[in-house]
Amino acid sequence: MKEVGYKFDVIVVGAGPAGSAAAYTLAKKGFKVLLVERGRVPGSKNVFGGRVYADPVGEVFDGLDGAPIHRWVTRERISLVSGGEMSSFEFRGSKRTSFTTYLTELAGWMARKVEEAGGVVLTEITVDGLVVEGGRVTGIRVGDERLTSDVVIDAEGINRLLLERAGLVPKLSVRHTGLGVKEVIKLQRDRLEDLFGLEGDEGMAWLMLGDVTDGLPGGAFLYTNRDSVSLGLVIALGDAVKEVGRHVSRYVEALRLHPLLRRYLRDGRIMEYSAHLVPEYTWPDLPHLLYTDGLLVAGDAAGLLLNLGYNFRGVDFAAYSGYLAARAVERAHEMGGMTSENLAIYRDLLEESFVLRQLRKFRRAPRMRENRRLYGAYPGLVNAIMDQLFNSPYETPKVMEALRRAREGRIGWLEMVRDLLEMVRSV
Amino acid sequence: MSKLFGLSIEDKLATTHFEVDEKPHIWIKEQEICRKCVNKPCQVGCPARLYRWNEETGEMLYNYEGCLECGTCLLICPHDNVHWSYPSGGMGVVYRFG
Repeated sequence: MKEVGYKFDVIVVGAGPAGSAAAYTLAKKGFKVLLVERGRVPGSKNVFGGRVYADPVGEVFDGLDGAPIHRWVTRERISLVSGGEMSSFEFRGSKRTSFTTYLTELAGWMARKVEEAGGVVLTEITVDGLVVEGGRVTGIRVGDERLTSDVVIDAEGINRLLLERAGLVPKLSVRHTGLGVKEVIKLQRDRLEDLFGLEGDEGMAWLMLGDVTDGLPGGAFLYTNRDSVSLGLVIALGDAVKEVGRHVSRYVEALRLHPLLRRYLRDGRIMEYSAHLVPEYTWPDLPHLLYTDGLLVAGDAAGLLLNLGYNFRGVDFAAYSGYLAARAVERAHEMGGMTSENLAIYRDLLEESFVLRQLRKFRRAPRMRENRRLYGAYPGLVNAIMDQLFNSPYETPKVMEALRRAREGRIGWLEMVRDLLEMVRSV
Repeated sequence: MSKLFGLSIEDKLATTHFEVDEKPHIWIKEQEICRKCVNKPCQVGCPARLYRWNEETGEMLYNYEGCLECGTCLLICPHDNVHWSYPSGGMGVVYRFG
């Protein structure tokens, strides 16, 4: 193996939000940083649902000054879908907390910040392995070349093949993974704003639960971008394996052609079809590996993503974990080296931050989301109640009466109470 | 420009940009194992529909060229019979929006 002469302080693998956040933070502090990315450009292998929470990312990247922001999400819509019926709840806020964008654009912007700060960004480099010597990660292997550094930050993404090849983590399990499939659909800007009732740079996040996933655990989403929508769904893979009756691409197709959605998308055209896995770990399984001698793991590779069922937070969790990995490197440097002992501060920093605090707080959420009634019985129940309250030509039932009728054949009282308690405890 | 209705998976994949590598990054390790596989979940689970069972030849046909690089096939194969690695540098899917 050839040794490349130049030695970096830090090598970061993967120019997604986690990798760029780590590289940027360290480059600013004067560390010699190499950020390697296998894609043609940074961001060209990244996929997300559609929204980013601004503050955590802004904390890392200078208040997001100059970032490609499409729309600020001021409208949150959650819909329960069954058959041709849908009940929706909509919140119209006034704060600018999260925004929509294209992740490829955003990740490209982040990587440019790394370069501006003096970091070296190399694209079109697929890392073949981590170099492990005497239990310590000392660099990366690309073909038959070897690049060494004091520490490697692995932000390779959810498939984390490098960690598996190095024998540091077991094979990723379907139990801890969801599959996201998405289409970006172009619409005329004014048409989009009319359809969703948006003004200026306002945006909407729309989550749908119910038979949009054929009753499988998961959900569908629609985010409004500047002049397009991101439409897709996430299915918990553990169940999908056993029960997907038709090809997964058909689910997105059915979603786009759904009688309740097609009017929104009629004039659109698909600009891109994409798919990506989503980590769905449960605390305290999470994370499998955060650090070892000479190595830190950030973002999806460490399983750091929050899925509440009604909201997802991935990009901000990834960027912030990358930022904390960088701070851990700084501290370990002050303490005398990149040993496992010194890098353990990374875990402490994560524990103190919203990242692990949130994942611990919502540790019951993944199990709650496995409850099939959330995707079948309850959307049906709610729609049946609404139907009675609004579609009774003469005699409107009382709410409890409507509930009793809607409940029959769908779900027992006891189950309902139990589910309600579990929901309250989980989210 | 693609129309929105009645789309096949090929129509959809045509909207996504790929730089096709000469050497595949996916392959089936043992066709014999696929022959014995009862459910063949790769057929429905791969979002690009790259795996197709050929009843006549008794072979699992696969095509790495339209791979969206999600990694689903690697996880859902019940017999760990899929070899999957990242394509070589710059190759494979090039998401323009992500």
